[in-house]
Amino acid sequence: MEEMNFEELRNQYAILKEQLNNQEIVNESLIRKSIEMRGKDISYTKKVVYGSALFCLIIYPLTYFTHMWSLAFAIVTCLIMMFCVIATYRIHKPVENLNLMQDDLATVARVMAKFKKQYDNWLHYATPALLIPWGIWACYEVGWSHAPEGSNPWLLIIPLLTGGAIGGLVGYKYHRKAVNAAQDIIHDIEKN
Amino acid sequence: MKIQEEQFARLVREHKNTIYTVCYMFSQDEEEVNDLFQETLINMWKGIDGFREESKISTWIYRVALNTCLLQERKKKKEVKTVPLSMDINFFEDNDANSSQVRQLHERIGKLGLVDRAIVMMWLEDMSYDEIGAVMGISAQNVGVKLFRIKEQLKKIHNS
Repeated sequence: MEEMNFEELRNQYAILKEQLNNQEIVNESLIRKSIEMRGKDISYTKKVVYGSALFCLIIYPLTYFTHMWSLAFAIVTCLIMMFCVIATYRIHKPVENLNLMQDDLATVARVMAKFKKQYDNWLHYATPALLIPWGIWACYEVGWSHAPEGSNPWLLIIPLLTGGAIGGLVGYKYHRKAVNAAQDIIHDIEKN
Repeated sequence: MKIQEEQFARLVREHKNTIYTVCYMFSQDEEEVNDLFQETLINMWKGIDGFREESKISTWIYRVALNTCLLQERKKKKEVKTVPLSMDINFFEDNDANSSQVRQLHERIGKLGLVDRAIVMMWLEDMSYDEIGAVMGISAQNVGVKLFRIKEQLKKIHNS
């Protein structure tokens, strides 16, 4: 009975193949569309990285002229943002790499595990090391150093902190999303 | 079409059944099969220049199709307007005897984990342990051990 089970599976598989042999399945427009897609396919990560790099290098430096902060703070902020953009790109690169689609599943699991570890390290070590000093400096610049005379520093800092908290939550949400996706793939591959 | 594109089209036509089977086994409806099939073709076309003939082309196609299904499972987004496949049958909905048999196969294999599903499909495809190992990144011996476990699992599923 148990052997029959596999024989039955084989028969069912043969039926599937036979049925497919009688079908055209692919057509000219399907192949044409697939070929055309290569040039158009720019990943979401790349779009974010290019957009962020553009912001850091062109738009952000203009904020210096608002006199809300010092030149040193503007330059350091710009450097930190560029560092984050480059680090994000480097962490994502192996996953975005086209070869991943052609690699064996064990390699896919390895790449995903490395991606997850780097992303976690980024959250636990790099983010606090960069953001805490930068945040304190930002508060000093906005609330005291470059605040309009007579203004209450806390009224200037609270919006800054609120914006920072919202940004942090959005960033954390994307972090969890990326890490969970990688974890799911690793789990699917390794649980067997 | 350029020569390379014509070769690609020929390759797709030669292996359409394999690609369809992989996509079908990882899908829940015909629309999902369409999406995965097209995504697989896009990934094949992207990677065809990098194919170095270190492995058989059928092994490479299996890898691309499997990885597409596995990774696409997580994306669940439709960036591409899918061109429908040219099929007269719908294994998910048709009620003739053959489609019912195929559906039963889909249900049985669908109860396995994603990797086990891939291994059993390649075994049904009569691929050698070496070829299966090349797709999975494990040794042929390991494939044998895994297949034994999968068969035990299938027996349990069958008897339950």
